[in-house]
Amino acid sequence: MKNVGVDGSTTLKVYESRGGYVAARKALAMDTNAVVEEVKKANLRGRGGAGFPAGVKWGFLPKDRTTTLLCVNADESEPPTFCNRVLMEHDPHQLIEGTIIAAYATRSQVAYIYMRGEFHEQFHVLQKAIDEAYEAGYLGKKVLGTDYALECYIHRGAGAYVCGEETGLIESLEGKRGQPRIKPPFPAIEGLFRRPTVVNNVETLSCLPHIMERGADWFTGIGPPHSAGPKLFCVSGPVNKPGCYEAAMDITVRELIERDDMGGGMLSGRKVKAVFPGGLSMGVLTVDELDMKMDFEDPRNYSLLGLGTAAAVVVDDATDIRLVLRNVARFYGTESCGQCTQCREGTSWMQRIAQRIESGAGRMEDLDLLLETARNMGMMPGLSICGLSDGATYPIETIVKKFRPELEAAIRSQPAGQVEAVLQAAN
Amino acid sequence: MAKIIIDNQELECREGMPVLRAALEAGWDIPHYCYHPGLSVAASCRLCLMEMKMPHPKTREMDWAPKLFPACQTPVRDGLEVRFNSDVVKTAQESCMEFFLLNHPLDCPVCDQAGECCLQDYSYKFGRAESRMVDPKVVNPKKDIGPHTLLYTDRCVTCTRCVRFTREIAGTGELCLVQRGSKNEIDVFPGRPLDNPMQGNVVDICPVGCLLDKDFLFKRRVWELTGTSSICPGCATGCSIRVDHADNRVYRLKPRYNPKVNDWWMCDEGRFGFKYTQDNARIIKPMLRRGREETSPSWREIPDIVRFRFQDHVRASSADKVVAVLSPFMATEEAWLLIRFIREVAPEAALAMGPVPVEGEPQAFPCAPPGAPSMPDVKFTILEEKCPNRRGIEQLLEVSGGTVLTFEAFSEQAAKGDFTAAWIVGGYPKPWVEKDTAKLGSKFGLLVVQDLFENKLTEAAAIVLPACAWVERDGSFVNAKGLAQPFERAISPPDGAMRDGQYLFEIAGFEGLYSGQRVRELMAEATASLTEVYEAPPIPAHAH
Repeated sequence: MKNVGVDGSTTLKVYESRGGYVAARKALAMDTNAVVEEVKKANLRGRGGAGFPAGVKWGFLPKDRTTTLLCVNADESEPPTFCNRVLMEHDPHQLIEGTIIAAYATRSQVAYIYMRGEFHEQFHVLQKAIDEAYEAGYLGKKVLGTDYALECYIHRGAGAYVCGEETGLIESLEGKRGQPRIKPPFPAIEGLFRRPTVVNNVETLSCLPHIMERGADWFTGIGPPHSAGPKLFCVSGPVNKPGCYEAAMDITVRELIERDDMGGGMLSGRKVKAVFPGGLSMGVLTVDELDMKMDFEDPRNYSLLGLGTAAAVVVDDATDIRLVLRNVARFYGTESCGQCTQCREGTSWMQRIAQRIESGAGRMEDLDLLLETARNMGMMPGLSICGLSDGATYPIETIVKKFRPELEAAIRSQPAGQVEAVLQAAN
Repeated sequence: MAKIIIDNQELECREGMPVLRAALEAGWDIPHYCYHPGLSVAASCRLCLMEMKMPHPKTREMDWAPKLFPACQTPVRDGLEVRFNSDVVKTAQESCMEFFLLNHPLDCPVCDQAGECCLQDYSYKFGRAESRMVDPKVVNPKKDIGPHTLLYTDRCVTCTRCVRFTREIAGTGELCLVQRGSKNEIDVFPGRPLDNPMQGNVVDICPVGCLLDKDFLFKRRVWELTGTSSICPGCATGCSIRVDHADNRVYRLKPRYNPKVNDWWMCDEGRFGFKYTQDNARIIKPMLRRGREETSPSWREIPDIVRFRFQDHVRASSADKVVAVLSPFMATEEAWLLIRFIREVAPEAALAMGPVPVEGEPQAFPCAPPGAPSMPDVKFTILEEKCPNRRGIEQLLEVSGGTVLTFEAFSEQAAKGDFTAAWIVGGYPKPWVEKDTAKLGSKFGLLVVQDLFENKLTEAAAIVLPACAWVERDGSFVNAKGLAQPFERAISPPDGAMRDGQYLFEIAGFEGLYSGQRVRELMAEATASLTEVYEAPPIPAHAH
């Protein structure tokens, strides 16, 4: 994030003056395999949510391929995540440089940047930067004067959560209904337009210039060995300084909220009640679990799905947990693509139950029903085509499990006959 | 062939086919909605999930992987071991069925699909007895999506079979999926109804009561129907079909799987083309005409009357003045009986082929987008030749020898008065007697006409014999590719009529009951080449 906040950071002139495109020049002078090896050595794990090593992902491409396509996942739609947005808005050339390096390493001829539909301003900033890069010869028929040719396009999505899933993104990019594909074949073998395809997140690509410039060892020297490199963290909710901060991945949730150079502590009079540390889909932490490390491994010890997008949203003690439950359930209820039965029906069922609990007509058995529905949607891998079904169950499951006493107390305090009245009116 | 193990039982099957298909064909009843062997794999209903043995990532020992796999998307390969009978799989099936029924209206008492519905069957076999859903259901609308089809989206399970059919088989792509999540529904594009010559198949492949055939809507409960194997007479493709009937009335036609001809499909022209059989204008009694006097003899008298009239005629004039005109709507067996009779009473009698109805051009599916060249991989063809058995009759004429005429040659010679006695077979669903043909009625001393409906020829005939529709007869048709296929009798002819095969059998001098099989045996003694028929292998009822 070194260029964020610098005057004119979106322009090529300023980017170049601050050492821009040096890494790309260096990479293009190298053998493509050497670039891949360097990235593998850096153990650059995907910043999009799953944390899959980018170098290994590139290694899945068939050796004898003739065409390769690179998709840049800029469909950042996990609530409450905005690190890609910051990168595109303030440092678009860093993304373009990362894209050039990744495209060169994977021998891609075309790079498509799939951008979330709601990003209007960011689109114009990035498009302008791409135009500049074309003009300066960083993109086009002869990249940096070499024989390597790369075209780069931005495609704007229509604002569907599921298009952030890599094969959903590919389908959408092909002009089809955005819903995840069945695998195999994996995108590396047969992806966009049935060609070998690599899909990488904006933040992942933005790391590449630094890896190329300063070397893999510099990168692995930051943070714990399994979670190397700098990472962007978002903090939002009732904190003093909500925003996007860069740090190594040995930071804890508590530090993220309280450090003066980060969240700056809670607003006066508010206390932390719960934190969703990795975007909604990873699950929730209670106030007692704030010492969790924001890396790729530790969240599992807190029954979370993973690090996710590393975007923490803080819920304060004035918020009714039923409201949180309903809000979370509503998001997945409206965003499930509806392809697989478990996710399509499960999310909307959980939404209706959560809505009823929130309206003051919950039943004790609803809590178990929520847990069982969550289990039926994700008790075992393979129940659905993509991983977003699991992502929909973790927050619900962790809210019910970790805040059960509060939910039960709320249900107990409902006026008698309320449930019956609501159910009768509804049916 | 590959050897795989399903639920501890060894099974031999073709390498590369989906495990689900192999299991279904071998008798396993695996619940599934989105998978259809004729369509691409969607793997979205997640109902056919199974466990599979895979090498352990560390020890490389084969063990059950901690993951579920859709059987429809897993290809058979040698040595594969899977299981459906584990608790994990059963729990997944049960919970999946619960999800399917959450928003389903459960209106089985008024649903046409009840009785042949996979939601009903699977709920009974794999589901749970009571619903835990207390909240209001999502109610999606009922839509009229085309001239033949209704769409009750509230019953839909979103298997997208219909969408894939219109894209992959019909090539017309009228259907699509709109909205997201549990609100998603099948729909047509604005102003573009589901209207293509193959659209009826979407009703067949719909596993639930979502897509409904307007023609059959609320006509009959399906468990009251009897299904009889038959062949569609609509065109020379010769699709295998099932005639669904009750109380001696045909209610609907459904395609029957036939890998050599039609796969799982049939066209709408054939599907709805049985209405003429229920026309009240049909000839149902034999009739004898002497001058202006018309009598209706009993069927018992018919064989003798016909035989004597022809014998008298041959004696009075000559055997080479007799002609029989065969119809491409006749079964091969019926035509053989008629030829046998005519050549017996008049050995030099001429044989002619009746007119072969042709309409338009052949239509191949999937049809190409407007302006594009035709699609390379043809999955279904509707032929321009609108009759079922031209090839069969032609083969018969070939082996019968003697004078064989085209219809044009026959018409020409008959107009000149070359024939004094004729037996003309009609049986065409549509009016077929053209102006020139009508004039021939007066050219014969003896004219026997066998037809479905009255026309200028029957008006002129000395003997009129009612023809029956194919659903009332049995025999075999030879399709355009030369494949002979048997069809069975579904219903009885209308009161007063007799099956063509039966009276021809008796007229030809045989005793007892006619059956296609029996005549094929008789034919085998005379000409072996004509008697081989191909019957499509049945598929298990649960493998739809």
